[in-house]
Amino acid sequence: MKRRDFLKGALYGTGGTMIALGGFGTLTKLDPKKAAAAEQDALSTVFSTCEMCTSRCTVALKVKNGKVVKAEGHPNDTSTGGSICARGNAAPSLLYDPERIKKPMIRTGERGDGKFKEVSWDEAYSYITEKLKNVQKQYGGEALAVTSRVNPNDIFFRSLARAMGSPNMFSHEATCPMTRTVALEATFGNPYIGADYGNAKYIITNGRNFFEGIHVPMVKGVMKSISNGGKLVVLDPRFSVTAAKGEWVPIKGATDLAFIMAMANVMISENLYDKEFIAQYSVGFDKWVEAVKDKTPAWAEQETGIPKDKIVQITRDFAKAKPNCLLEYGWRTPWTGNDYQLRRAIMIVNMMMGNWEVPGGYFRKKGAALLKPYPELQQYAKSLGGGMVQPAFPKPVKGRIDGTGVKGTPGQVIPVPDGAVGQIPESILTGKPYPIKAWMVYRFNPVISMPESERVIEAIKKLDLMVTCDVYMTDAAYYSDVVLPECTYMERYDPMIDNTGLTPKFQIRQPAVSVVYPDTKPAWQIFKELGEKMGYGQYFPFKDMEEYLTKQLAAAGLTLAEMKEKGFWVPPGMKPFFMRGKDPKAPAPTATADQKIQIFSEELEEATKQGIPEYKHYPQPENGKFRFIQGKVAVHTNAGTHNVPVLNELMPTNTLWINSVSAGKLGIKEGDSIIISAGKYEHKGIAKVTEGIRPDSVFTYHGFGRISPKMTRAYGKGINDNKLIPNELGEIGNVVSSTTFVTVRKA
Amino acid sequence: MVQETRGELYLSFAGIWQRPRREIADHLEEIIELWSEEIEIPPETVAVLSAFCQRYPAGEERLNALWAEYIPLFETGAVEAPPYASVYLDKGRQVLGAETRAVQAFYASTGYGMGNDKQELSDHLAVELEFLALLARDGEETSGETFRQKHLLPFLQAILPRIKGSRRPVYAQAAEILDNWQLKSYERG
Repeated sequence: MKRRDFLKGALYGTGGTMIALGGFGTLTKLDPKKAAAAEQDALSTVFSTCEMCTSRCTVALKVKNGKVVKAEGHPNDTSTGGSICARGNAAPSLLYDPERIKKPMIRTGERGDGKFKEVSWDEAYSYITEKLKNVQKQYGGEALAVTSRVNPNDIFFRSLARAMGSPNMFSHEATCPMTRTVALEATFGNPYIGADYGNAKYIITNGRNFFEGIHVPMVKGVMKSISNGGKLVVLDPRFSVTAAKGEWVPIKGATDLAFIMAMANVMISENLYDKEFIAQYSVGFDKWVEAVKDKTPAWAEQETGIPKDKIVQITRDFAKAKPNCLLEYGWRTPWTGNDYQLRRAIMIVNMMMGNWEVPGGYFRKKGAALLKPYPELQQYAKSLGGGMVQPAFPKPVKGRIDGTGVKGTPGQVIPVPDGAVGQIPESILTGKPYPIKAWMVYRFNPVISMPESERVIEAIKKLDLMVTCDVYMTDAAYYSDVVLPECTYMERYDPMIDNTGLTPKFQIRQPAVSVVYPDTKPAWQIFKELGEKMGYGQYFPFKDMEEYLTKQLAAAGLTLAEMKEKGFWVPPGMKPFFMRGKDPKAPAPTATADQKIQIFSEELEEATKQGIPEYKHYPQPENGKFRFIQGKVAVHTNAGTHNVPVLNELMPTNTLWINSVSAGKLGIKEGDSIIISAGKYEHKGIAKVTEGIRPDSVFTYHGFGRISPKMTRAYGKGINDNKLIPNELGEIGNVVSSTTFVTVRKA
Repeated sequence: MVQETRGELYLSFAGIWQRPRREIADHLEEIIELWSEEIEIPPETVAVLSAFCQRYPAGEERLNALWAEYIPLFETGAVEAPPYASVYLDKGRQVLGAETRAVQAFYASTGYGMGNDKQELSDHLAVELEFLALLARDGEETSGETFRQKHLLPFLQAILPRIKGSRRPVYAQAAEILDNWQLKSYERG
């Protein structure tokens, strides 16, 4: 075709393939009335559920002219008080970010070259299908691993693995609060245990940093407690924002269990605990008495660096506040190999205070099953149904790579939905117990979220297939073969969100606007379409998410229309329910077989030979070395938000906190360029010289120092903590974040 | 310059700034020929483009070579020159800003809107150029010139230096040529 013919054909419709509407068909003739109507779009509110972190706060998205102009807290939600955090507020900045992934992409260069081409969804699905079928044929379906950050679309994502016959489904939890989950399951039978911070008169937290690792309802609760005269004690090697709101006790890293056991020792020796409660509601206390009998404050002083008198004083004051007191159970990356025993010991000491099912204490989340036995509460006992009925999946031929579920081993207590994600790179690299050849990640960035970034990259490079589904070209996406662009939470429905606490609570996530980038899709749709392409359509028996939601809600007697209008549902008229709220002797069963609190856990005894927490001494840093600790910051979520424009502007980089005396000895001044060395790996950084950290520890905020050059704002800025931390698997498969020692020198 | 030629030129640039596809990539030689005939272009600029066409003959290989330039330049992650006007002309460097809406309103005022498949944002560089091609075809010279002055030129002044500075052969040269036509010699043309 001559060039005049080609362009003329396109422009005037005389030939070529793009002539239907004239030009390239991007524009069309418009109905003038519709155009006028669009111009008069008034401000409206769409209620939804935030996804800027994992807390799932209700939000009110303000929409004008088809655009989200502001994200606010839901004005009718008493748990948040109508507030959202900075991350929630920054959601529109993510929505309209030109750096988002806009089309499916397939790698064209070497892994890590950053060369991709955009393809149609069908091409992307076909490519993945062919690769996965090859892996299945050569190595078996179990050679596929899938990992996601826990979210409502997991059921669809995991269906792909199940359909292929893989048991290797993982959440991010082993890099987060999985040890707490194990402790709660062992002690109470399930992990659905909440804390009533607002009514607590005394809160002790071991490193839990409420005001930087923000969960809005919890922050509100702690603030209410403090405002009402409650005491807050913060044990942390670093002077965090939370420590600034209470009494800072700068404990030596990795010794928190010593402090907790000494508290128990004092409570027993001074008769400060609730004997009647322990007798009525728990089993195995005698073994705990035995375990802590030599864990005196004097012993704990040697371990923790906290004076024995301070330990005694805190314990006495804490016990005075019983049962309205909370020894916070923690929500963060495990520190040590036996971190689950720290979480167990914390909950045992809590139970010694009888703070179970009372205001200002711990409680079981009040789902329908829990409410039904109470005649006056039966009217509130509603539960969501399933959105689909799936046929049986094939039984996997092999067990999981991490040993999850194997009786008589630590794997017995690893939560099946979570698994030990740190095992994936090990299995890829060592082929043990068998090789993983394909890895699909969804809203999870193993390169930054898992220890030893370079080893994770080395593992990814060995795979036959790596697929990432996300909104940004994350570090994992950068090394992937296929990148699938998910739309943001403001552009999609998700399955219903159950946020039950002291009352049932169901929340909707619904689109406030049409997708900004037209070829992005909701995750449920991506996985459904991929499943159908792979020949697994029977596992996705629903038309769309509105149909799915309608079925879920019908079981609770609710409609999609009312959820869309109100955003969330709590039983009208129901007050927060504590089983022992009115009568301290009232039944308050746990979810264990005998319905008692398991101070001694038969299951843990079977799995780990530690039915009762045992103290393990971890080494302290030698002279010249520092314990490397990490934490969250209020304006970022783990590894998820560092490239979001507004949040990046608020905090584009991090520093290494180092004590002023320690820095002085090394000749390091505020703002100096430094090298942090963990032996095998080193990292450049900037020093923040402060008195707000122990002299034997250094600290950095997590999630910085990004590796993907395609995240312009975050790329190469600051310290990637996980570059320095080795991939050590803890006793129950958890990652270990606080046993790494480093040296620091001027760059 | 006659109206018909102007329409073809606008359309040729619209094709270039779209996401790479075979129909455009395979006609790259013809587009270069059109530009050489109608716009003042230094010989070295044409040489770079011709060399690209020789190195990557029409087909899949050429398409992938264009993708290799297009994605980092316009599309994903560390985009060197976001192709959306509102990123440059509104506060906040975000898409779907006031400029997007203003452009949409202008389209509507001339009876145009985005197509049903909505595969692109309305203030994408390729869309604005395609719109001008359609106006030229329709003989809407006044509307075309108003849109050009009010929307296209401020956008080009912001984005073309970035594309030219990217050192990505095809797109940097195309930006140079568009700059010559629209910002330097349009009146003479």
